[in-house]
Formats: sequence, C-alpha cells, structure tokens
Amino acid sequence: MNKEVSTGTTIAAVEFKDGVVIGADSRTTTGPYIANRVSNKLTKVTDYIYCCRSGSAADTEAVSDIVHYHLSFYRMELGEEPRVRVAAHIFKDLCYNYRDSITAGIIVAGWDKHRGGQVFSIPIGGMITRMPFAIGGSGSTYLYGFVDANYKSGMSKEECLKFTANALALAMSRDGSSGGIINLAAITKHGVEKIILTGDEIPKFNEEF
Amino acid sequence: MSILTYNGSAIMAMKGKDCVAIAADRRLGIQQSLTVNTDFQKVFVMGPSLFIGLPGLATDVQTVSQRLKFRLNLYELRENRRIKPKTFMSMVSNLLYERRFGPYFVEPVIAGLDPITYEPFIASMDLIGCPMVSNDFVVSGTCSEQMYGMCESLWEPNLEPEDLFETISQALLNAVDRDALSGWGAVVYIVEKDKVTKRTLKARMD
Amino acid sequence: MAASLVTEVPQSGFVFENCHRNAKLAKQGVKLPKPFKTGTTIAGIIFKDGVVLGADTRATDDTVVADKNCAKIHYIADNIYCCGAGTAADTEMITQMIASQLELHKLNTGRVPRVITGNCLLKQMLFKYHGMINAALVLGGVDPTGSHLYSIWPHGSTDKLPYVTMGSGSLAAMAVFEDRYKQDMSRDEAMSLVRDAIEAGIFNDLGSGSNVDLCVITKDKVDYIRPFKECNKKGKREGSYKYTRGTTAVLTSEIVKIPFTVIREDVTEESMDTS
Repeated sequence: MNKEVSTGTTIAAVEFKDGVVIGADSRTTTGPYIANRVSNKLTKVTDYIYCCRSGSAADTEAVSDIVHYHLSFYRMELGEEPRVRVAAHIFKDLCYNYRDSITAGIIVAGWDKHRGGQVFSIPIGGMITRMPFAIGGSGSTYLYGFVDANYKSGMSKEECLKFTANALALAMSRDGSSGGIINLAAITKHGVEKIILTGDEIPKFNEEF
Repeated sequence: MSILTYNGSAIMAMKGKDCVAIAADRRLGIQQSLTVNTDFQKVFVMGPSLFIGLPGLATDVQTVSQRLKFRLNLYELRENRRIKPKTFMSMVSNLLYERRFGPYFVEPVIAGLDPITYEPFIASMDLIGCPMVSNDFVVSGTCSEQMYGMCESLWEPNLEPEDLFETISQALLNAVDRDALSGWGAVVYIVEKDKVTKRTLKARMD
Repeated sequence: MAASLVTEVPQSGFVFENCHRNAKLAKQGVKLPKPFKTGTTIAGIIFKDGVVLGADTRATDDTVVADKNCAKIHYIADNIYCCGAGTAADTEMITQMIASQLELHKLNTGRVPRVITGNCLLKQMLFKYHGMINAALVLGGVDPTGSHLYSIWPHGSTDKLPYVTMGSGSLAAMAVFEDRYKQDMSRDEAMSLVRDAIEAGIFNDLGSGSNVDLCVITKDKVDYIRPFKECNKKGKREGSYKYTRGTTAVLTSEIVKIPFTVIREDVTEESMDTS
C-alpha cells in the first residue's frame, strides 16, 4: 500500500502521413495489486498534443500537469497551436532537470501545421529523440522484435491503428504489469479521434497455451 | 527498544460523572538499570481544571510542557479567557505535527473540564499529534497494553468522583506492577466542577 | 533557536529542529517509535444522485487497537468529504489544511468549491512531500458539474473512478464492489453496497474493525451517519468490578478549590426613588 503507484505499462506511438496514432494499456499497479484497471495513460496537453505516460504515476501526472499549464499560457501568448517539438522539449526539460528525483518515461505525440504528425520519445533520464514510431513502458521489452519486423514506413491511419493495437495486445498478454483495455487515439489536423478496445475487440494471437 | 521506553512512564485519564481523573506514575529511570527519581513530574497543570500528562522521553516531556505553557499563556493573554480543553488539544496537536519529520518523543494525554459548561473531556495523541478524543478512558506509556486491559475491565460509565478515584488508581497500580519501567509511586488528580483533588498513592517501590 | 531570553513566537510550517538529534539517536541503534496508523478500509461509490463514502473506525498502534471508534471521514467543504487511510495524523492534518484552503477559495470566489479543486490541492501537496506524508485518500463530493469520486495516493497520483477503495482492507472491499457495482444505483442500494464493502474489510482485514461510518452526499444535502452500523458491540457486563471506596492506600491528599469564573452579570433596572 505504501509502495509508489506505477503505471507498469505498455505505451506506443506511430507517425503517419497526416498525423500520429498513440496507444496505451490501462493497468495501474501498486506492487502486486491493480490500483486501477481502466486508467487513461493518454494525457492531453493541448488540443493537438498528447503524451503517453509510463513510470511513477505521481511523477508523470505532475509533469504533464505542469506542461499543460505552460502550454496553455504559451498558446495564449502565441495565438496559435504550439508545436509538438516545443511540448516535447518542455517535457524533456522537466524530466532532465529532475532526473534524480523522478521516474518518468514519456512519449509525446501530436500534430502541428508545420511538421505534421510527430513522435518524440523521452525515456527515464531526460533524453529526447524524434522517432517515426516509439514504444515504452515495461511491456515494450516484449515488443522490439515485433515492431522492427512489422513497421513499414508510409502506413495509412488504419494500418497504424492496427499496428499499435496488435503491439499493445501482444505486450499485455506477456507483461504482468500491463493489461486491461486498449486506449487508442489518432491525432490529425481535424483533432483527436479516440478509440477504446475492450474484451473481444482486443486483437487475439496464439492462445493455445 | 524504542526511545519512548528509555525513561519509563504510565499515564491514564478517565471520564466520570461530571468529573475527570488523570493518573501517572512517578518514576524517572534510565532504561532498566537505574531509577533516578521517584517524584518526577509527568502531569502538568495547564489551568484550574485542565491537565496534560506527558509520558515519553524525559527531556522532551519537560521541553514540550514548557513550550505548551508558553503557547497557552500567549493564547489566554490574547483571548482574555480560559482555553477549552478541545482547543488545547488542537494546540498540542499542532505543536507536535509541526515536528512531523523530527518528532518529540511524547504521547500526551489530556484531561479537563470545559471552563464554561464543565463538560468532561479526555483525549490522547500519538507522537506526531494525531488527536484521539475518547468517551471512556485513554492510556499512554510503557505499559499501555496492561493499562488497556485494566481499563477495559474496570471502567464503567457515570462513576462518582470517589469511585472514579478508586477505579483509576487500581487500574494504574495493577498495570504498572507488570511493568519494570514504570511505577515507583503514583499521583492521581480528580477534577470536579469546584475542586481538584490531588492524591499520591502508596505503591510498590521495586 | 532564539536567545534564551527572547520569546519564540510560533511560526507556520514544519519544524526540523529535532531531526539532527533523532537521526543521531537512530544511528545509535535506538528504535524510533511509530505513529498511529489507521489500518483502515475506506471506500466510495457514485450513485444516481450523488456519492456515498464509507469507512471503518479502527486506529492501530502497531498491533494494539489505539482507538475503537475514530472518525475517518473528514470534512473538506460543505459539499465535499474525504476518507483517509495511512498515518492517522497525516490524514487528519492534510484534510484540515486543504479544508481551510478551500474555504478561503470559496470566500474569495463566492462559488461552491469543486471536487476537482480539492483533488488538485491534495495531489499537489502530497506530491510536494514525495510520499513522506503518508495519506491515501478517497475524495468525493457533488458540485455544479455533477458527482465526482477520486482516489489519491500518498505520492500524489490520482484516479477518477465510479467506485474506489483504499487502505489495508481495500482488497476485501474492492471484491465486493467488483461483484455488485451497477451504474445509477438508488440511494439505499448504494448505501448497503458500501456498508457491505466496509464490513468485508472489518471482518477480513485485521487492520480494520469496529463500526461502519457512512457519508451520503447529494445535490442539496449531506448525511454523515456515524455510526451507520455497529458491527461489534461490547457485551453487557453482568457483574461489577467496582472497588469499594478506601481500597487504595493514599499517602498524601491535597484539595485545590477552583475559583468560579464569572460568565454573566445581570444588572436589573430599578426605578429611581423620587419621593
């Protein structure tokens, strides 16, 4: 009970031509206990930029609240939607400056009119790198082979959604601290389209054993 | 061994009919090896009908009692009235919780009558000031298990002052007889509307 | 510390003057005492017209039951209450602090405080202290935007859910909720579900015990029912263990009279004698 709550997680994000697809499982754990089986790890920071959170729940919530605050201010001063790069760098600054005291692995993804859909990965420690696709959380260790084998550049939105859902489903079935339902979202210039996969809608693979 | 048991102490308070009682042992020792004093003050008078018992580490017992008296005097000068026991409890609670991350090693017991309504009030607290108001009795000190046992069986509602005195005295004396660290005499205060009776008890001196 | 003759007026905030000494004592191998825990089963659900919060009433000091009937549902605002689990003093003090901040916020804005505001203040305060303030909370209330229920963890993470449990008995209580929770329950259904969840904690978790307290918050009314159900009544004592007067041997006796305080002075009007 006194252990830190962590989103022992699987998160993923993929860029496509007109935007990005992001996804996460929904399990939040304290040690062996599932504190929340329907948590939302896709957190909004602006209307067009979301982050996928992994690591300590408290730390990532606090960081994304602070980034949300900065970007809301920045948006008002700028008079237009902030760039994904700016959002990602605010995340990076916080994660890097407080690298000794917080545990946060964050994927920032979104759309802006300058560079379209973008995915930035900020792993624990506060490094930042832009990637065509990113995976994170404890479940991601089970996924590197899958994503390397199945990612193709130039996928459509539907293909990206399928790719993300498959990756999450595979990780959730192998990783004890990932599970629950699948939260997906596609961010394009039209805004955010959210998709939730529950129960039978979660892709199935080999279940003979 | 916990630092709270370094000097040894046993304090309890009970509610009676329109009265309260607070009782404490009198030993000041250094662990089990030495008894330094058999008239050590652990119950402090905070008003005509307000008392606080401070079991725990002797150095903190004295520091806390003095700091409380200071804050209490400041309060009564500012407000120009006697403090209510419940307000006093908040004062103690705040003093202790301020030291949440470096506490005083005392677990206070408060007993008193409301200065206006004469309503009996007893309460106890842990070392970081979690207030616990009770309707029957409160105990604190090195032999709290024994005291809980005695009080659970001896206490009954609406005891007259004289009966309350016997009950609290016997509860305390019999509890400290099974504790090596406390005992060596006892003092009991019975607080009524119009008077406070302080009695010292004959007890085992071993 | 100020000079010994200069009075020291209490300041706000935590004081760390004993930390050095206590750390030194700990280094010498002295075990530092533990504060009270609430052990605790606390729970809350959202029903059709509002929120039901529930709690057991046991406080423990290691293995000793320190309080058989403590109140774990704390006041936050007229329309918001909060159940606390963890270190008893922490839950007590943090809810008091946030209640006072929300009251000031209410007076400043002239609006009914929102549950999300309470949630935000609590999580930011807990996050600031890195989990050192050991309070696990269930915050519930009704505001102009509807009924809301949050669980708040000691490190400052929060979850917004239709039914939540916390404390050492949370597993037992959650089992009851997972089995029987439905959307849009009636007030009576909701109250008996929370009661059963708390009872599951009381009877299956050793850290929880005694009675069930409930707090039902609806749009224009709050019912704080304490105790809602006394699950463990003390049996009636048949005999009396009362000692006869004079049993205890007294060494000295001293009586101090309490001077009466003048509470009121009435002066009756008398007509002046003009004869």
